[in-house]
Amino acid sequence: MKKIKKQNAARLLEKWQKEFTVFVPSKASGVAQMAVWDGQDLAFLEHNRNTVIPPKANFLPSIQKMFGFRKEEGGYVLEPTDEDPPKQLLFGIHPCDARAIAIIDMVFKDAYEDRYYLSRRQNTVLVGMACTSPYDNCFCTSLGFGPADATDVDIMLTDIGDSFLIEEITDKGKEVLAGAKDVMAATPADEKKARAVKESAKARVSTKIDTDEIGKRLPLVFDDRKFWEEISAKCVSCGICTFLCPTCYCFDINDEMLRDGSGARYRNWDCCSFAVYTKMPTENPREDKWRRVRQKVYHKYAFYPELFGIIGCTGCGRCIRQCPVNWDITQTLNSLPAGTPTKKQETQKSS
Amino acid sequence: MTREIQQKLRAEARNLLEKGKVDRVIGYGAGSLKFATTPLIISDKANADRLVVNPFIHNNLSVFLPDLCGKVAIVAKVCDARSIISLVQNKQIAREDVFIIGVPCSGIIDLAKVQKLTGLDRDEIGDMSWKGDKVAVTFAGGSKEFSAGEVLAGSCLGCDCSGFQEFDLVIGEIKTLAGGKDLSRNKIQEMEAMSPAQRWEFWKNEFSRCIRCYACRQLCPVCFCERCFVEETEPLWVSPLPKWQDNLIFQAVRMMHVAGRCTDCGECERACPANIPLGILTGKMEDIVEELFQYRAGMDKDAPPLMAAYQPEEAENLMR
Ligand code: SF4
Ligand code: SF4
Ligand code: SF4
Ligand code: SF4
Repeated sequence: MKKIKKQNAARLLEKWQKEFTVFVPSKASGVAQMAVWDGQDLAFLEHNRNTVIPPKANFLPSIQKMFGFRKEEGGYVLEPTDEDPPKQLLFGIHPCDARAIAIIDMVFKDAYEDRYYLSRRQNTVLVGMACTSPYDNCFCTSLGFGPADATDVDIMLTDIGDSFLIEEITDKGKEVLAGAKDVMAATPADEKKARAVKESAKARVSTKIDTDEIGKRLPLVFDDRKFWEEISAKCVSCGICTFLCPTCYCFDINDEMLRDGSGARYRNWDCCSFAVYTKMPTENPREDKWRRVRQKVYHKYAFYPELFGIIGCTGCGRCIRQCPVNWDITQTLNSLPAGTPTKKQETQKSS
Repeated sequence: MTREIQQKLRAEARNLLEKGKVDRVIGYGAGSLKFATTPLIISDKANADRLVVNPFIHNNLSVFLPDLCGKVAIVAKVCDARSIISLVQNKQIAREDVFIIGVPCSGIIDLAKVQKLTGLDRDEIGDMSWKGDKVAVTFAGGSKEFSAGEVLAGSCLGCDCSGFQEFDLVIGEIKTLAGGKDLSRNKIQEMEAMSPAQRWEFWKNEFSRCIRCYACRQLCPVCFCERCFVEETEPLWVSPLPKWQDNLIFQAVRMMHVAGRCTDCGECERACPANIPLGILTGKMEDIVEELFQYRAGMDKDAPPLMAAYQPEEAENLMR
């Protein structure tokens, strides 16, 4: 393993800046998000907590131009946007957000390969940073990983005081580190320190859910309307918990057109909490709020595992922290009724 | 003091439900986050003990009223109660279907302001509590005191309860805060001192962050349209893409639509995850409405809605 002195970290970023657009966690815009590094701000080296806007925005931007078009005799001419996606390096991304990207990958390269997403993904290097100050409502350790898990990044950094311990996880990671002047070999003492830091980070994640139990109960409570109505009563159906969720990927497609018939097609974030989301000319299967709240929970905790074998939630806690009415998914998951399948089915049969 | 009020509130809520005077009570329950409460809607008297009153009862619960059937008791600060009356004025709810329980409020501490002042996140703050007319904030390795003007929500600073008569029951004593309207208008004055070009720059910058989550609209008690203009597609009034220009148009039109029903309750600004200072717009709008029409939304249930009534002699110079 390797390490770099904190005071030299800026030089590493400068090196990367020559090849990549370097993104770092920043509050400069007025909201915490991954922003292009200005070459000055280094606050994230000391204090790096999850951004409000998740890094999914670097792959699935809130507005993405798909193609342009123009009207010509007899029809439309398409103008593909084939400019290369930016070569980007995301510095300081948390393990949960890297996991979230791995989770979304599954959708965008499933039945259909989505080039808008995948080309950005391929052009990106993820430099992770072990999360040493989890929020009080983070619950990543209940989801099969933890605040220092390096599985989904290219390089992992761990704060060991005056230096960062560096783990090269992928070939891509090794490549971008090659030739970095200030990177030194780590000592066994450094590695020991890093292990301790990781352990204590893990121990600080205090909110828990029981995914086995949830997996058992969810199939039994789908039709428990009373439960879902109660759970959803205080939700106001805004877009916060989904737009800010790092694993929510729904998008809408919209055209912008000028009078002369030229314009462009875009895609933008969409959200299953909105009643119009499922509105169709004659009906709306999720007009009721409780059905929408149920959908959000099932998509992550039942449908995703069914489709891809992984829960579509990383326990990052954004949906809890940012919700304007403090709707808390962990409370819902922890209060799922045990259900009485056999009895219920029996009475249904006999009635 | 708040404990006593909480006990009384629970007893009253239990009583109302038990005697069948109301079908539901909307109040605040304990939040899952530090310094948070959460809306609590109960119909079983056994749940009355889950109601809480503390300095963090920030939500304006009146937003839930139009969707609830039957008779509903609602826990309200004065600003929320004005929203309730605004809903009555606009015929979204019937006055006799609501039982308004007033609770005293020492001003809502704006967590965003405290976070900004201390550089700390919610869970890094140890405690926040009133110490006389100051707010004491403790954290690992220290504590700080802030004046009400520094940490109260903008709408609280402009709080004026005088003349509000519509409570059905008051627990404790309700009085106007000693903030003063001037303090709440600081930001507006700063804006007014700018040139139009500077103001344009300011709002361009702010609305560049808007993600169109519509939390501002969803939380707003008087954004009650069945179908919001942003959801119209024929014609398309505003693009659904979150470009700053369209974000600004969305908010500007929303403001025009709530003029005369907005009570400057501050809920939209509090909800905004992008920290856009919507209170500047609602505050200024309230001032304009008051200046031109001598009208304050939600003060008189019998006054016709501002935008639905016209007196020939009023504000001739409005239509210039
Ligand atoms: S953020 Fe909260 S209020 Fe908004 S849709 Fe999600 S749960 Fe509902
Ligand atoms: S559902 Fe909530 S906790 Fe889970 S990944 Fe999304 S925002 Fe994070
Ligand atoms: S709450 Fe804020 S981010 Fe969301 S739509 Fe309103 S102004 Fe935009
Ligand atoms: S516009 Fe904002 S301040 Fe005005 S009533 Fe609605 S939520 Fe309250």
